[in-house]
Amino acid sequence: MASLYLLIPLGLLVVMGAIVLFFHASESGQFDQLDRQQQRMPDDQ
Amino acid sequence: MEAEAARDWRIFDRPELRAAVASSDGRRQEVLVALDGIHCGACVARSGKLMSARGAQAEVNLATRTATLRFPSTVSLSTLLADLDAAGFAPRVLAHDDALDAQARERRRALARIGIAVICAMQVMMLAWPGYFGEVPDPGIARLLRWAQWIVATPGVLWAGWPFFANALRAVRSRTLNMDVPVALSLVIAYVASAARTLTGSGDLYFDAATMFVAVLLAGRHLEGATRAKAGERLRRLAGRRIMTARRIVQDITETIPLDQVRTGDLLEVPPGEELPADGRLLGGAELDESLLTGESRPVLRKKDDVALAGSLHLGRSPLLMRATAVGASTQLAQITRLLQGAEAGRPRVQQIADRLAGWFTGLVLLLAVAGAAFAARHGFDAALQVALAVLVASCPCALSLAVPAALAAVTSKLAANGVLVARPDRLLRLPEIDVVLFDKTGTLTLPDFRIDNVLPLGAMGAGRCLQIAAALEAGSAHPLARPFATVATPLKAHGIVATPGQGVQGVIEGRHYRLGRTWDETHGEATQAATTTIELSGPDGPLARIDLSVPVRADASQAVGDLRHRHIRTFMLTGDGRAAAEHVGKAVGIASVEFRQSPADKLERLHHLQSHGKVVLAAGDGINDAPFLAAADVSVAMPQGAALAQSKADLVLVGERLAGIGLAIDLARQARRRIRQNLAWALVYNLTILSSAMSGHLPPWLAALGMSVSSLLVVGNSLRLRVPAGTRNGGTAEGVA
Repeated sequence: MASLYLLIPLGLLVVMGAIVLFFHASESGQFDQLDRQQQRMPDDQ
Repeated sequence: MEAEAARDWRIFDRPELRAAVASSDGRRQEVLVALDGIHCGACVARSGKLMSARGAQAEVNLATRTATLRFPSTVSLSTLLADLDAAGFAPRVLAHDDALDAQARERRRALARIGIAVICAMQVMMLAWPGYFGEVPDPGIARLLRWAQWIVATPGVLWAGWPFFANALRAVRSRTLNMDVPVALSLVIAYVASAARTLTGSGDLYFDAATMFVAVLLAGRHLEGATRAKAGERLRRLAGRRIMTARRIVQDITETIPLDQVRTGDLLEVPPGEELPADGRLLGGAELDESLLTGESRPVLRKKDDVALAGSLHLGRSPLLMRATAVGASTQLAQITRLLQGAEAGRPRVQQIADRLAGWFTGLVLLLAVAGAAFAARHGFDAALQVALAVLVASCPCALSLAVPAALAAVTSKLAANGVLVARPDRLLRLPEIDVVLFDKTGTLTLPDFRIDNVLPLGAMGAGRCLQIAAALEAGSAHPLARPFATVATPLKAHGIVATPGQGVQGVIEGRHYRLGRTWDETHGEATQAATTTIELSGPDGPLARIDLSVPVRADASQAVGDLRHRHIRTFMLTGDGRAAAEHVGKAVGIASVEFRQSPADKLERLHHLQSHGKVVLAAGDGINDAPFLAAADVSVAMPQGAALAQSKADLVLVGERLAGIGLAIDLARQARRRIRQNLAWALVYNLTILSSAMSGHLPPWLAALGMSVSSLLVVGNSLRLRVPAGTRNGGTAEGVA
């Protein structure tokens, strides 16, 4: 059980990292046009 | 070669153009550029290096093939563009649109909130999990789990749920109630109570319920909002990202000019892959992508002399030549955009009613929550808190207020993919009740453009000279009868032109007064072909010539009329034209009730007459003459031609120019009405059922949050089913729906 004292805070750090990463990904426009590539497929010669 | 290219780009150093494309914070300028020549990560790196060598910064997006250039005002945009061009990146400067930027920012922020709410909800639930099975044996671990929940729930409730708080605050400040008030209230109560219990270390926590509530509620709203945004977005995106220059050919020399200097009649060259800068008549065949205008995703083949529209994409491999017929604000694209903007400004009446109902319901819920809590208070503070939370969360009328807009949004989006643009979504609710359709003839059942078939001189003046006079009188007019004259070259200029709807046009040429208009006497009508309309040119000394014009019937008109008959809808044709032409078209499309020689006032009277007999009337028309007629109808449908589109205030626009769109819209509207009734019934039954169990204290807050959220998702999902092609006509266009 004692390991939880380390693992839970570690888990919290991972969650915070995930939150920051997702925020950054969304704000930089990575999810803006998810269907773009499917439409542009024949374009790449 | 390079010098010439650089000269082309220098145009962007002009202050007026620079202001239109660049946003500036005083020190640095920002310009959005499309780079069609970018294909891989190496290109991105190369273009970035190229720009930093000039003291500029390039933020390249490979997915959208755009770059944001940031540079100090000492650097000229033209050198940057010339560099990019020389390196083969084919730059095109895009207009910047603050409103569009703001929209994109808002959408990104909304998505970030949903994602973070979901992450937090999952994590809080993991941390709450041990507590679901009773007390955690180790008090130290128990405290750690509680604090961890608080930490993770904080961004999940306070940041991700901020829109609810902001909306609730706005409502309270303006002394109204919306459904975000109970949501925000329950979130605050759950969060504060849980935080207090984390500090004291005893009692149940509601962090799990609160974060889940935020996540699912945000997801439901996003689905509904995304559907709604989709329909209009294509056009708005296009309008906001128009190219800023055009290539004009004057005496065999091609020059690049700002878009607002293009005039009607200019000869324009469009390089492969670029957007057409104006509406215009093609000088040769071309393959065009008109998907942004019509929703039709397949390339469209246009022949020589066809009119191509600004905003379509030139798909051929060699430059396209066209003569501009409409520029700037009179292009069809600009007209449609203005129509949409005008319609958006007014809030639909249905929505107002729904909002008011939701307001009343919210007030009731707040009262019930207080009453329930007061009643449960005899079992202690915890019981009172639980009842208050359960009532607030469970009976939030979200599903009720989503029922109508979600269904309308789904229909709007599906119609847009099938070439029908819905300018006023609330009018869709009138469509299922339509029992009469009034068609205008010219431009609606038939193609908009007349052809000049024959010129019959009545006096001494020759046919050629008569045509020149007629062309001078009709110059610059948007009237359908005027259009065939646009192709007639005339050295003459008319002054003091006066156009009277239904009566024709008069003006002064070289000091002499001429009039061009319909012939009202029947005698000549016998001799002419049935499909023609005849107009007469008369000078100061009497009639000069009769000009026969004819116009082809639309290929799908008779099928569309037949479809309406199958739906037990009566069809009428009202036209200002003569008997012969009217009956010819009526027969060709299968409309028995044809009324000819109708002035705009006659048409309006006919419409009022039908309405006074309890009929719900749909009017389909086109042109300046039809504007009052369209405005008075219960639902109005307009063909996209004509400079009067924005003024017509049409409810639906058949941008795909297929009359079958009317039948499709009616079908979809009927389905939508069914869905709305199902949604309302479900929301009502659910809210009443859950309210009673919440009041009695048998509903834990997490179950209340789940029930409420799932109920909203069900309503949205049920509406989204409308977008799946299910046995509808034109169901084959699934690729545009996805």
